[in-house]
Amino acid sequence: MRPLILALAGATLLICLAFLLVSGRNGAGPAGKEMAMSVGEVLGGNASAGFSRAVAPRPFHFPEDHGPHPGFRNEWWYFTGNLQGADGQRFGYQLTFFRVSLLPQAVQRTSRWTANEIFMAHFALTDVRGKRFRFAQRYSRAALGLAGAGGRPLSVWLEDWAARETEAQPWSMKLAASDDGMSIDLDLQSLTPEILNGEGGLSRKSGTPGNASYYYSLPRMRTSGTIRSGKDTFRVSGFSWLDREWSTSALEANQVGWDWFALQLDDGRDLMFYRLRRSDGSVDPFSAGTLVTADGRSIGLRREDVRLEVKSWWNSPASRSRYPAEWRLRIPSENLDLQIVPRLENQELLTSFRYWEGAVAVSSNAGVVGGSGYLEMTGY
Amino acid sequence: MILWRAGYRNALRHPWLTVLAVIGVSLGVAVVSAVDLANRAAERAFMIAAETVAGRATHQVVGGPSGIPEDVYRRLRLTGHFDNSAPVVTGSLQPVAKPGTTFQVVGIDPFAEPPIRSFSSNFTDRGTLTSLMTTPGSVLMLPETAEELGIKRWQSLPVEVAGARRDIALAGYLAPPDQVARLGLGSVMVCDISTAQELLGMTGRLSRIDLVVPEGAAGEQQLKEISALLPGDATVIPAGTRASSLDRMTRAFRLNLTALSLLALMVGMFLIYNTMTFSVVRRRRLIGMLRALGVSRREIFAMICGEALLIGVAGTALGLACGKLLGGELTRLVTRTINDLYFVMEVGRLPLLPGALVKGALLGIVATLAAAVPAALEATGAPPRAVLSRSVIEARHRKLLPLAACGGVLLMAAGGLLLLYEGGGIVGGFAGLFAMIIGYAMAIPAVVVLLVNGVRPLFSALFGVIGKMAARGVVVSLSRTGVATAALVVAVAAGIGVGIMVGGFRLTVQTWLESWLQADVYLRSADFGSGRSHPPLDPALVERFSRLPGAGSFSLSRRASMETPEGFTEILSMEVPSTTFLGYPFKKGDPRRAWPSFQRGESVLLSEPYSLRHHLKVGDRLTLRTRQGAVSLPVSGIIYDYGSDTGIVIMSRTGYLKYFDDPKVDGMSFYARPGVSTAQLAAEIRARGGGQRLTIITNKELKKATMTIFDRTFAITGVLRILTLVVAFVGILSALMAMQVERARELAVLRAVGLTPLQVLGVICGETALIGLLAGVLSLPLGILEALILVFVVNLRSFGWTMQFQVDPAYLVEAILLSVTAALLAGLYPAASIARTSPALALKEDE
Repeated sequence: MRPLILALAGATLLICLAFLLVSGRNGAGPAGKEMAMSVGEVLGGNASAGFSRAVAPRPFHFPEDHGPHPGFRNEWWYFTGNLQGADGQRFGYQLTFFRVSLLPQAVQRTSRWTANEIFMAHFALTDVRGKRFRFAQRYSRAALGLAGAGGRPLSVWLEDWAARETEAQPWSMKLAASDDGMSIDLDLQSLTPEILNGEGGLSRKSGTPGNASYYYSLPRMRTSGTIRSGKDTFRVSGFSWLDREWSTSALEANQVGWDWFALQLDDGRDLMFYRLRRSDGSVDPFSAGTLVTADGRSIGLRREDVRLEVKSWWNSPASRSRYPAEWRLRIPSENLDLQIVPRLENQELLTSFRYWEGAVAVSSNAGVVGGSGYLEMTGY
Repeated sequence: MILWRAGYRNALRHPWLTVLAVIGVSLGVAVVSAVDLANRAAERAFMIAAETVAGRATHQVVGGPSGIPEDVYRRLRLTGHFDNSAPVVTGSLQPVAKPGTTFQVVGIDPFAEPPIRSFSSNFTDRGTLTSLMTTPGSVLMLPETAEELGIKRWQSLPVEVAGARRDIALAGYLAPPDQVARLGLGSVMVCDISTAQELLGMTGRLSRIDLVVPEGAAGEQQLKEISALLPGDATVIPAGTRASSLDRMTRAFRLNLTALSLLALMVGMFLIYNTMTFSVVRRRRLIGMLRALGVSRREIFAMICGEALLIGVAGTALGLACGKLLGGELTRLVTRTINDLYFVMEVGRLPLLPGALVKGALLGIVATLAAAVPAALEATGAPPRAVLSRSVIEARHRKLLPLAACGGVLLMAAGGLLLLYEGGGIVGGFAGLFAMIIGYAMAIPAVVVLLVNGVRPLFSALFGVIGKMAARGVVVSLSRTGVATAALVVAVAAGIGVGIMVGGFRLTVQTWLESWLQADVYLRSADFGSGRSHPPLDPALVERFSRLPGAGSFSLSRRASMETPEGFTEILSMEVPSTTFLGYPFKKGDPRRAWPSFQRGESVLLSEPYSLRHHLKVGDRLTLRTRQGAVSLPVSGIIYDYGSDTGIVIMSRTGYLKYFDDPKVDGMSFYARPGVSTAQLAAEIRARGGGQRLTIITNKELKKATMTIFDRTFAITGVLRILTLVVAFVGILSALMAMQVERARELAVLRAVGLTPLQVLGVICGETALIGLLAGVLSLPLGILEALILVFVVNLRSFGWTMQFQVDPAYLVEAILLSVTAALLAGLYPAASIARTSPALALKEDE
């Protein structure tokens, strides 16, 4: 779920900010709350006319569905991961590719710059020991080979940031991205089959039909490779999480933000849960998640299955926003009681759409189980 | 107080003299400030437009004549990781509804823009970017531009672009961050790069890539890495290059206009000098009495200067107002000339330029005061008693004559030396010219005395006593007539000089066209802009026209411009029959020897201005940036060309295709087969055009059209020449009128002793006619001298063109007629008024 609103915001921001940005790198966007509002307003119209919509469950076919779905307006490939160096340094990374269609059908024109799709990508690296969080943002049209998604083997790329298929069985990809002071070069190999979230992959965002996405995850991908933080290069290994989602969704006006958890537990279980927050402070009933057991079964989670508490807060010096810092997450039916702590307080992305996304450490209150994960918080 | 009152009464008694003086100042100021305004408006327009469009870019990647392949950009981004780079495709278009108005099309990639530019746009919904990127022909412009064009958002507008009629649609508005950017974007339409490529026929190519490179070693390293990724014909230049090369290209032209306008001011100064001197001389009695009463010299000096200041201020105010109006018109002329000769630009609204106004005001007031100083000195210099005597003044004046003449001769000699000094440049040329003019003018009174003494016997033989009196009158009243004559001479000579220069140039161009345009029919794509290069022809069409039954042979040509760190290099590539080549107007080099290597693309021809600007002779080597990297080609000939003062490099099409990735053709010309008439050939071409928008023009028509452009270009010179003459005319009118009015008493005495009104008229008109005639005759040598300087020094240094020098007698006759007419007209009013007044009344008048 989490990237959905982000991408919608991203799409709108492409429009609002492409010309306005002071700098493509770190132009601070408007406050998330206001953005979420304006996103709702902007996309509330019939801008989606002509696009396919996620209305009913559909059969998924892999590896085809790893590739793009051009009939839908938004789609993304969302990689996050927790990695460790040889002598125990911890790193977190995020590499996300967003695809946004401008029109339902491609246009026929002579210029090779003709594009019906825009790509946006975010790249972030958390250096826990070095206490550095770096992030970068890029935009490009899907034309002239500057950005795109597709092909067999699959490639998703924006300029020199890329995710490329290296093996179909088990599904494996190579991620490469570099920017000022950071780079990654990682090999990912899926350890689980594709996990379909929601109703067989149909993830409803609200009561409005069609306000839903197709959503699957590869929650555990064994990862190894090198990263560069500052001037230092490290050999690293760990686990990554890939979220794939496509939709032509509109945001409900009263949905203002969300908290999204993707946790890989040491006992082999993987947990995804998102909590959607409404403007009146309540939790949206469409908040949901999926728990994958160590033997690969997935269990759907509804709002009432999960209890979330904010244990402490962090004030961002850059945006002056207050984000939750420590969380307690309980799933009584699964006998889970988790303590979730950011590995670094400041993992706020001051991109055109401001949000907090970063590596977290997971520990069990009972001390039975630990783990790692990624947390995303928007609308603060 | 009494002084001011005296001055006021004086002005009231001769209102016309005051008015004429004011007009003289205002004309001079108007011409100077108008030219200044036009020059600055044009300069500002292209500088600001160039800078706004360049944005924060520090460097630019520029390519060969047809731009850069777009893959270079991808390579920079993907291989080179240079994300502070943005592709640009630019060109121009003209709205069909507003012919002659040109807009710059700037095609950008919005996603690459943020580090470079901030033409922000008020996107209120996702529709703007979507249609900008997906709807062909979508553009953004300023709201005021849209209003001028009468279109609203989402409406379409038919335009002429790249030789075709297309529709563009207004997808949204530009919101410039500040007022300067707003000015710079006045004639700009921004669109997506895909739209620009399609509209301008530049699919696959980019005009340039803008870069933001940090300063220092890191930046140097980046530039090196970028250069390594570029094809041979592309290079990186600093971003400021364009604005400064546009400036350099037009500097000579603008400087020439300024010099012409200063000439007008100079004539205006004579006028003021004249008026002030007259007002002093006429009041010599009054001034003498005031001095005798105890008024100090300082006070008299202040009075004269105060009067001059008043005239100066009034004239300047009026002149600035006129200058603003005139400036609008001149701006149009200057813009058109720059469009014809240099590059496409548009001056949207005439900005209010305080600089030009302040300069005009200062010049007007200071010039007036400076011109009044001699008169003020004259009034205060002499002892009170002497001031009262008119003859003292004349005597002193005549004593000064040899001195002035010697000074003049010295000044002319200095001017001559300045002109001979090669390194003086354009400014040196004009300084020499002005020194010549002033020196000549200083010597004029002495020459007048000599000449009048020479013609006096003739006058007395022809017209008897009246004639003799008229001739003597000229000499006796030399303090006035000398200056008036000098002013008239200067103005008329300027007219002659400029006239001869333009005439010679016109003749030169005509002769050149004869040898340059040899084919019978010319074809190019219909082009509604006034730029020098034309949109390319459809290749299928070129193929079809290559097999025309009525044509014995044909030529292909392509005119393209390449940006270099030193500015633009225009390359003309041609595939021509050898007979045509041999007929070219060679200045240096042997066509027969040049032909074989030229044909193979192993040597180039240079136009005369190019060879002068770049100091290249036949046998030297010219280095060009080609797709094979830098290539050095020998120069096998220098030819005359009057199409461009920046100069052109001419190479054969074979060579061009080898060195540049640009197979396009933008012009074809055909030679009729024996037995086929030009009209038949043109009709045949027209029939095969197949609905394409083409310009098909016969040799004769093309020559005529070229001459029309020539005349259009020099329209501005003509206007300035006429303005100078008007200033001079007013000058002589006021001087002679003043002189005659002053002589009212003397003339009354003549009436009293028995002269009939007709005889008085004879004396006055004889005198003024003699002055007119002298001025006319004296202006001839100066005019011819000026023409020589303009042709052989100023023009050669400014534009690099060799011109034929031919003195058209019509200009000389015109000059004499003009000055005699002006002089006669000036005599009529005082003569008539004297004739009307009874001698007794005139005699009674004290003064």
